[in-house]
Amino acid sequence: MHLRIDHIAKSWDGQMVLDAVSFAARENEFVCLLGPSGCGKTTLLRIVAGLTAPDAGRITLAGRDITALPARERRMGLVFQAYSLFPDMTAAANVGYPMRLRRESPAKIAARCSELLERVGLGGLGARFPDELSGGQQQRVALARALATEPAMLLLDEPLSALDPAIRGQLRSEIRLLQRALAIPTIMVTHDQEEALAMADTIVCMNHGRIEQIGTPRDLYERPRSRFVAEFVGRANLLPTSFVRDTLPGFLERRPPGGEATYEFCLRPEDVLVQSDAHGEAVVEDFVFLGNLARVTVAWRGRRLLAELRGNSTLARGEAVSVEALRGAWVCA
Amino acid sequence: MTRARAPAAWLLVLPALGLALFFLHPLATVLWRSVTDTQGAITAGNYLRLFDDPGLPHAALRSLAIGIATTASCVPLGLALAMALHRSRLPGKALIRGALLLPMLAPSLVLGLGLVCLLGRNGLIHRLTGATTDIYGFWGLLIANTLYGLPQVVIIVSAALARTPARHYDAAASMGATPWRQFLDVTLPRLRFALLAAAFLVFTETLTDFGSAVVVGGNYRVLAMEIYSEVVGQLDFGMGATLGVVLLAPALLSVWLARIARRRQDSGDAMPGRMLLPARHAWRDAALGALSLVILLPMVAVVGTVAYVSVVKLWPYDRTLTLANYTSGMPDGYGPVATSLGMSLLAACAGSVLVFALAAGLRRAPRSIARPMQFLASLPAAVPGMVLGLGYVLAFDRGALSGWLYGGLAIVSFCSLYHYHAQAFLAMQTGMRQVPDALDDAVAVCGGGTGHVLRDAVMPFVAPAAISTFFYLFMRSMVTLSGVIFLVTPDLGLASVTVMRLDENGFLAQAAAYAMCVVLAGALALGAMRLILHVLKERRHVA
Repeated sequence: MHLRIDHIAKSWDGQMVLDAVSFAARENEFVCLLGPSGCGKTTLLRIVAGLTAPDAGRITLAGRDITALPARERRMGLVFQAYSLFPDMTAAANVGYPMRLRRESPAKIAARCSELLERVGLGGLGARFPDELSGGQQQRVALARALATEPAMLLLDEPLSALDPAIRGQLRSEIRLLQRALAIPTIMVTHDQEEALAMADTIVCMNHGRIEQIGTPRDLYERPRSRFVAEFVGRANLLPTSFVRDTLPGFLERRPPGGEATYEFCLRPEDVLVQSDAHGEAVVEDFVFLGNLARVTVAWRGRRLLAELRGNSTLARGEAVSVEALRGAWVCA
Repeated sequence: MTRARAPAAWLLVLPALGLALFFLHPLATVLWRSVTDTQGAITAGNYLRLFDDPGLPHAALRSLAIGIATTASCVPLGLALAMALHRSRLPGKALIRGALLLPMLAPSLVLGLGLVCLLGRNGLIHRLTGATTDIYGFWGLLIANTLYGLPQVVIIVSAALARTPARHYDAAASMGATPWRQFLDVTLPRLRFALLAAAFLVFTETLTDFGSAVVVGGNYRVLAMEIYSEVVGQLDFGMGATLGVVLLAPALLSVWLARIARRRQDSGDAMPGRMLLPARHAWRDAALGALSLVILLPMVAVVGTVAYVSVVKLWPYDRTLTLANYTSGMPDGYGPVATSLGMSLLAACAGSVLVFALAAGLRRAPRSIARPMQFLASLPAAVPGMVLGLGYVLAFDRGALSGWLYGGLAIVSFCSLYHYHAQAFLAMQTGMRQVPDALDDAVAVCGGGTGHVLRDAVMPFVAPAAISTFFYLFMRSMVTLSGVIFLVTPDLGLASVTVMRLDENGFLAQAAAYAMCVVLAGALALGAMRLILHVLKERRHVA
């Protein structure tokens, strides 16, 4: 394992922010720390970067204990949310900054700067100042600067959240391509589940300073382990055991043993099949057309279910429909 | 384990030492002296003596009266001027701004001098019209202090006016509010705390002002004059210290109340939105224009009179024009002006470095350190210059430090610097707040230390504040009188003190010439500051 985080704990003013968090990242792996604001993901990233010291625990990088190493000696490339470029330095000077601090030769710095700027798609813009660049371009410069010293790891702290949605999508795939091309182990913090699903090899889903689940994006979506993960990653209908017993008894056999309230059934909206049926038991309460898909709320046996249909289906409010469930997963309540 | 990025605590060492030695120490000395007798035994005698002298309670009442009267006249007039600047379509706003600069360049002493030359028993008005004029006393003090306080009220109120977004007025107008109702319902409520803060400031400044008191006060003797005569006239330092404490109490109270007001102040919207363009309203503009004229004409006339008197042969008897007062007629030559310049330069250099280090060191310091340091750095705002100056005399005229400090330029510089420490610190700290935290971290992960943070992350954002602070300290030091009045020695004349001495002895034309030198130096400094800030803005890439 390249990076190993071992029982890291941190509290601010008596408030527990990280509660003995452990995980490991392989060489070349893209890990997303996903969670709502205040879940401790940014603190964990800052601890990895060496900007914040943990109260307890150990971090090893390629077998070496770096827990006590100050940030400047860790050789981590860090990209922030925004406003981290030096405003009175050109793009090229920003990229060359860490190399200048390491007293590399000017010729080498200049060559590396133009190589990196080329790499992030800013060839020819090296002489611009940050205020002459768009938000997306500024983040590209920040990315180039983070890569300047050939860091042991790339750390991204919500690098896309301050950008417009269109640029966000574009930069998302570019970062992923770059990361694969350079084969650099990367940790990205995000609160955007879509971003995490799209980019990560492994998602570490966090809540209240603890890890809820670690897995591939598909794992987290299809087999969420807890109610929190089910609701945070994607949309979910969460049904109590008694309701499943009455309406969908076929799913009961895969239910892990445990008390009535320990597990809930997670039914993704796209796994709810809603069909127009004059004898159906369910009634359409709301129908929202979203272009490629449509979101339908139906009332069925005293509960409301959310279903997603293809955009070309039409259902009217008040229409009688039949409901079927295709697949689902049991999660800890 | 401590935090990996240790706050740069070493930055705080020198500023903290300076505050302790050159602010707390003299202040404590004044307090101590007021409760001890000449032998050093603790006594309440000094305070009891306050009531033996019938003059002192009267002086206290007079100080209070002039403070309240000045506040009552200054705040509404300042509000009117701020409204003229920000809520009217009046042409020539630059003229209003220009006129308001005059009191900032001229010490209250110069305003007083101008008033005397204009409206004194032998003033210009009397000479020209034969009317009997006598400005000395309550009315003279009221006018001089009001003129002196006006720009500060305008600055505070203007800042609050600029923070009120246009959409509040749009909303009020869409609901049918007349312009007058909009003033009452939108403008005034959002100015409450600004007006309160301005009122406290003017009250404190008037209460502790010495410059106009000594020139136009006449027989209307206020507390500041009593301290001056106790110390300089009768060498009764104990009594001077006791009166100083009496003066300190209301000033402290007023600054404390202003702090509360500021904390409750509406900090404005996060998104100020569109700037307000006042609607056309001929009557409003006419009224505000007339009012501005009435307020600012005396301002220009007073400073103009000083300029005129400075080029007159023998005021007021022989009014032929001459430049002699600036050349052969200068009793002390340009020595005092040079000394003032040197003193101000030293105060500005040392001050901006110390305040920069303090503000930078406090940026990410833990609250347990930041809170008390911040309080200490802002405390000088509550200490009248005379009290601080008296503290310097008592603390440094004997003892370990007296040998190399007393009677030197450095001690006068420090007195001036710490007198204006609070405002300088506040300006610097406001600049520091613009530095994004991410930049510190960026420097750290790139492999830089505190020095790199200061140079590459902090300086680009703080440079304008640092330059403003430097020139603020310079200009204030050039005109300061109350703080340094006890510290000047015959060998160490300052321009402002020379103006006062010459005025006391009736050499008004020569006093005016020195006063104009001070005003000119201030104007040049202001011009230089604007030029530098402008060039910086052009060259900088910081929003």
